[in-house]
Amino acid sequence: MELYLPIAELSVNWPTLVLLGAAVGFVSGLFGIGGGFLMGPFLVFLGIPPTVAVASQASHVVASSTSGVLSYSSRGAVDYRMGGLMALGGVAGAFLGVEFFRYLRLIGQADLVVALSYLLFLGSVGLLMLHESLQQILRRRRGEIPPRKERRRPLWLYGLPWKMRFPRSGLYISAIPPFALGAFVGVLSAIMGVGGGFILVPVMLYVLRMKAGVVVGTSLFQIIITTAVTTVLQAGRNQTVDVVLSTLLLLGGVIGAQYGARWSGRFRAEELRAVLALIILLVGVQMGLELFVRPSDIFALAPGIDR
Amino acid sequence: MIQALPPEPPAIVAPPPESAATSQQLRVAAALTDARVQVDQSFRGASIVLYGAVFNPTDQPVDVVVVVRGPDAPLRLVKKIRTWGVWLNSRPVLFEGAPGFYMTASTRPLPDIAPFGQLRRLSVGVDHLRINAPEERRSVTRYGVRDVVVSRLGEDYLDWRRAVIRLKEAAQLYRSDPEGVRFVDQGLFRAEVELPATAPTGAYYAEVWVFQDGEAKGVSNLTLTVEKVGLERDIYEFAHRRPWTYGVLTVLLAALMGCAASRLLRRE
Repeated sequence: MELYLPIAELSVNWPTLVLLGAAVGFVSGLFGIGGGFLMGPFLVFLGIPPTVAVASQASHVVASSTSGVLSYSSRGAVDYRMGGLMALGGVAGAFLGVEFFRYLRLIGQADLVVALSYLLFLGSVGLLMLHESLQQILRRRRGEIPPRKERRRPLWLYGLPWKMRFPRSGLYISAIPPFALGAFVGVLSAIMGVGGGFILVPVMLYVLRMKAGVVVGTSLFQIIITTAVTTVLQAGRNQTVDVVLSTLLLLGGVIGAQYGARWSGRFRAEELRAVLALIILLVGVQMGLELFVRPSDIFALAPGIDR
Repeated sequence: MIQALPPEPPAIVAPPPESAATSQQLRVAAALTDARVQVDQSFRGASIVLYGAVFNPTDQPVDVVVVVRGPDAPLRLVKKIRTWGVWLNSRPVLFEGAPGFYMTASTRPLPDIAPFGQLRRLSVGVDHLRINAPEERRSVTRYGVRDVVVSRLGEDYLDWRRAVIRLKEAAQLYRSDPEGVRFVDQGLFRAEVELPATAPTGAYYAEVWVFQDGEAKGVSNLTLTVEKVGLERDIYEFAHRRPWTYGVLTVLLAALMGCAASRLLRRE
């Protein structure tokens, strides 16, 4: 039942990892997210070095997103023009992020920045989602009609140069915001090992105001390219990608995602969002907590020494 | 005429048979049941038995100390410092070359076997381990990062040193077992070397010391190799020799599995 991971250089109980992959896959299928933000903390908890965990789970995100994009693509729900532009930004961001992560490891601050990013991004996104979904649930309970969505688009987005047409998204906007969004998510994917769907989707919906039908497919498409590049960069620059670890996670993830997707039809969208918001918030707080709790040992080995 | 000369005396007088002299000396011989530890996919650590014999011509009791050192590797340590209520990392301190694995096993607690100075000189025991750190504080530019403190000695050096040992002990990479060497018969002893799954690969050196009256009377040196074999070795070497190809292949594998999953999903 034990399997030795060649890059992480330790032996793990492989059924645990397959189960973890399945559980995260189930959650990701249920909520339509990548699930990288859940996987990372659990892997670290199981004793996998954080640098290996972050780099190896990126390829898990590639696999789960690939199967997602294929099904969205067959329905014509992927805006390749928009996704490609964002992916371009994502690749630039991934380059920056991997180098930044390398520098952080050298100065011994990688775990601090990872914890801070989890606290900051998961905490804020979780709070916003929770607020929005609870409001919706309350409104439905009271039998109120949902207020008309605001159709006005933020003006500052439209004053920018290099305008492009995105017919599938129903947009005619500057190329700068999608590129910048992609780059930002690329940096996050290198530092946190996440796909970044939890940030991409709300921004695409509420800030860029793309057509709702193409948002998830397009974000998945951008995530595939960004995380694929991140994986290659992590392998090339840091040698921290463990193919055995990622394959184990994939095996469970593929099966879990199937069941998750089947179950998702049984719940209301806003209830699912509220639960997801709670999970995101919990993970963010949990990861951030280590910054405030007195550590059991005030000395720690800094991982990632280079030759 | 030449024949008339008496035979020349031999240049060197042959020494008397050696066995008579050495049998009066304390000696130790030892061997490992396994000099190669192979790390494959089922590796969960290894337990190697070291056995040996002490030839003790005297009546005085002897002590045996087994020291096993793994390959040295640089090690970086950070200290958490509380700043504005948040625990932050200090700049890492680099210890140039602490053994990746270190264990001692002995017949009695080390301080009872030999005095402090003796143990320190031989570098026997976790407390006397040489963790190479330059004696003065200096900041250097390393890997393009400025102000890396190579060593910060001074009054808190001992704290840092102790922390290295404590953390390594917690990971079961450093260990001292005061009852790890057992005499099974007269002069015959055995000790167990427990390698955890996280033990680094490389060359290990084992020293078997025999002490009498607080002095080292003899030593036997052994080597042990821990190496990855089979698929584990191939993957590790591939990932380090051709990291870019490895990365691309990993991504392709992941994408393929994703495709396969979606095919299966659609069929159902």
